[in-house]
Amino acid sequence: MTRELNWPVIRLLMIKDWQLFQKQLAAHLLGGIVALAFLGMAKPWAFYIGSLLLIILLVAVACFAVSTSLLVERKEQTLAFVMSLPVSPLDFTVAKLAGNLLTFLVPFLVMALFTAIIIFSTPLPDGLVVLAALVFGHVLVAYCISLAVAMQVESEGWNLFAMIGSMVLINPFLMLIGQMDSVQSVLRGNAVIWPAPALAILGAQALIGLACLAFALWSNGRKPAFY
Amino acid sequence: MSHLDPGAAPAAPSDARIPAFDHLRALAMLAGVLFHAALAYSPMMHGFWPTAYRAQSPWIDAIVWCLHLVRMPLFFVVAGYFTAWLIVRRGWGGLLRQRLRRILVPMLVAWPLVHLATSASTEWALDHVVHPSPFLSMVKAWLAMPDPPGMPPSTGHLWFLYYLLLFTALAWVVHALDWARGFARTVRITPTRLALILPVLVAPGFFLTTAPHPAPESLFPQFWALALYGPFFALGALLLDRVDLLLSLRRWLWPGLLACVLAYVGFLVQLDQREVADWARTAPWSTALLQALVAAWGTLAALIAGLRWFNRPRAWMTYLARSSYWTYLLHLPVLFALQYVLLDHALSWPLALLLSCGLTLAICLLSYELLVRRTRLRDWVG
Repeated sequence: MTRELNWPVIRLLMIKDWQLFQKQLAAHLLGGIVALAFLGMAKPWAFYIGSLLLIILLVAVACFAVSTSLLVERKEQTLAFVMSLPVSPLDFTVAKLAGNLLTFLVPFLVMALFTAIIIFSTPLPDGLVVLAALVFGHVLVAYCISLAVAMQVESEGWNLFAMIGSMVLINPFLMLIGQMDSVQSVLRGNAVIWPAPALAILGAQALIGLACLAFALWSNGRKPAFY
Repeated sequence: MSHLDPGAAPAAPSDARIPAFDHLRALAMLAGVLFHAALAYSPMMHGFWPTAYRAQSPWIDAIVWCLHLVRMPLFFVVAGYFTAWLIVRRGWGGLLRQRLRRILVPMLVAWPLVHLATSASTEWALDHVVHPSPFLSMVKAWLAMPDPPGMPPSTGHLWFLYYLLLFTALAWVVHALDWARGFARTVRITPTRLALILPVLVAPGFFLTTAPHPAPESLFPQFWALALYGPFFALGALLLDRVDLLLSLRRWLWPGLLACVLAYVGFLVQLDQREVADWARTAPWSTALLQALVAAWGTLAALIAGLRWFNRPRAWMTYLARSSYWTYLLHLPVLFALQYVLLDHALSWPLALLLSCGLTLAICLLSYELLVRRTRLRDWVG
């Protein structure tokens, strides 16, 4: 197995993943515009619907990105075709990881940016940006776990379990934050203060996410052959 | 809409650029300068407009709201037409590059500059104007408070650039989800259907907001603005290879205009009968429908008239078309500065309007000549 990465083919594989994801991305973009329009109505019920829709979209982007590029591809046996290309398992792993991160991170970062704009440009307390960062951090970790599991495990059942399980954990996570007085006091204020527990959680989220991705890369990249 | 779907069967050749659309876009943008200048002399806007002048005339209200109902719909039709034209000529990648260079970057650069310039002239007016407008007096009172309320960030008069980007994104959604093909299969557009359906399509947009409709300056997309201007943008995309729709409607130009005038008179009567408390409420259905008729048929009439009388390339029209983008970006801070100065001069409203509008146009065109026309800026805002 060669350790030289075949970047032209990796690029092509990433473009292929991006193109296959276009329909979902279009639907998410439409949903995002609708969610923002709800938030722009500046009414409590519209704010509730808009923010709920944004969270649903965030989860949907994470699930669809993994599902389209890995699970569906496996089902349709595209790997057999990929094996006919001049790619090593490491090339394939890098392409999958980078392509997946691209398809997920573009809508994810756009939504994060607009959430920050919403918080800073409306009468909402600016401290809410701490909660938003923690929620976005959780979805990012859940996505990294799902991606790592999808690259590691072929069973559809386990993949669905990883996706649903990690995303559903957002509920106890929100409850946990709700019980932290130091975080709660910040959320109601107009100053953006990052309390130590919030920073610790964000740090843990970053570490877990990176560890998942690194493990997926290491585990798949060291394979001498696809099977 | 078929040009949002490059896979669809090719229709009439759409490579040729129709000069009338360039000229109509210029007229729509220059009408914006006149509209903003005239609001200073509108009795209806006297309490809200920063440069509201002591001399006013109900004639201004009788004219400007009609202009308001037609100019931006017309602009978005033309924008939809050129979006589809660019997709055909350069593809989605080319369109994206054009939108970045011609819309996103100018918007991001102009936005803070316009905001700073307008704020500076308003601050000058607060300090120096002896006969302030009611709005200036209100701002003065606000600023005297111990903790004055801040204004939410907004796109200001550059909101149309923001919506152009939104509609481009939505056009890509339509393309990616293959909706244009489905739409073309299920709906057969005829000239009569177009004339009848368009007011019905845009009426919900008017119904969801106040009358007369404000500028959607919020940083968040507004449902009413999407519902109002979206159908016009889609109509523009449709017209790329269906200009025949407009040509078939030519015989309806004068009867259509008459219907527009009648609907507009009805709209003015309804505005006149409203109580002050109704100003902040969304428009009733009857008012929304009257506005939709004026906007839809007035825009169709403007398109038909444009194809009839403005379709021949003329040097001065081409010049106006090329300078109109820069003029529109620049006009509001210049206009406000001039009108703040005029607040302390007792002039008749026609003279004040002529002066402020004429000087604004002169300054914008001169700056276009000096800063844009022969420089690299031409590629971005020329």
